[in-house]
Amino acid sequence: MIADEATLSRLAALAQHGDRQAYAAMLTACRSWLLRYYRRKVAPEQIEDLVQETLLSVHRKLASYDPARPVVPWLAAIARYRFVDHLRFVYRTAVEAELEDDVPAMDNDDQALIARLSLDRLFEALPDAQQRAIELVKIEGLSITEASVTTGQSESLVKVNIHRGLRRLAALIERI
Amino acid sequence: MPDDPDTFIDNLVSELKPVAPLRQRTGMMRALFALAIGAFLVVTVFGMRPDVRSGHLDPMFLLPTGLFLVLALATAWATIDMARPFVGTRRDGWAWTALMAAVLPGAALGLIASELLHGQQVALDHGGLFCLAFGTLIGLLTACALVLWLKRGAPASPAKAGLYTGVAAGAAGIFAVSFHCPHNDLIHIGIWHGGTVILSGLVGRLALPRLLTW
Repeated sequence: MIADEATLSRLAALAQHGDRQAYAAMLTACRSWLLRYYRRKVAPEQIEDLVQETLLSVHRKLASYDPARPVVPWLAAIARYRFVDHLRFVYRTAVEAELEDDVPAMDNDDQALIARLSLDRLFEALPDAQQRAIELVKIEGLSITEASVTTGQSESLVKVNIHRGLRRLAALIERI
Repeated sequence: MPDDPDTFIDNLVSELKPVAPLRQRTGMMRALFALAIGAFLVVTVFGMRPDVRSGHLDPMFLLPTGLFLVLALATAWATIDMARPFVGTRRDGWAWTALMAAVLPGAALGLIASELLHGQQVALDHGGLFCLAFGTLIGLLTACALVLWLKRGAPASPAKAGLYTGVAAGAAGIFAVSFHCPHNDLIHIGIWHGGTVILSGLVGRLALPRLLTW
């Protein structure tokens, strides 16, 4: 069962005063919320890692919670920050792995797969035309003209689809 | 490989220590203190401009200095609030004060353009580099106060936090330098004083995000 907002706020305020029992209850409630939050965004095998990273941030930045405000928007802001950080990390790792020849091929493949899974999760929320336009231009590096020929969309439609798709992805990341 | 969830939470609980929540007022007091120290340093080291010393204040001192003070306070407020992350909060109030202050460099550029159109020469170097250099330097005091505050908190957008810190620091620095700078002409104030805020904002945006990640 997930605590209501008023209870969570009270628990967080008590945790700031050093109440361990309240803190344990607060972290458990936060964990439930985070599991649901990340379930829509990342591959299943990454969820627990990300939840624990976020709980660690909650622990380190407990002072940044304002007892006069609700807990969930605070937790959501931390979760979003960790999620964006996570995405940056997996893509950077995947790109580096592509560039380094001496790293075992299995590691490269794993990292690329993880990056791909995260992206696929996000892409599920986009219409096919937007997915395809972003994938061809922003990921595979095709020009607008090439993407237009490949997809059969006009050049201006490719641009519009990229713009709308990216805006939708940003909104998805920001959504609580 | 993640830890067992229960063990992980138990470990965090066992490390819990009481923490004082970050208060907006405390952060603002620190920023104000840094700003006051900056003004005090400028006046002590370089001296106060004659009209302020004599008490006969010039409107061209009062208006721009007041604008830069308001910009420094509004941006510092937004920066300090960024230490407490919160989805759904809007912190764009400072942008209106920035727009108001931007009238100064805008008017200066308009004046320069008008003078050039009439074939007149425009002189830009009336001690302008001094104001730019020391405005930026003195602004570092405010920047330090804000960065230390942000490091205690959890700024969810380090890039924005860096920009805000830079703008607040530049506005605070040039506010302090205004107590020494004897120039009352719009071109000097718009270009060099306004330029200090723009330069500090750019430096903050480029240099600080790395420092503010957590």
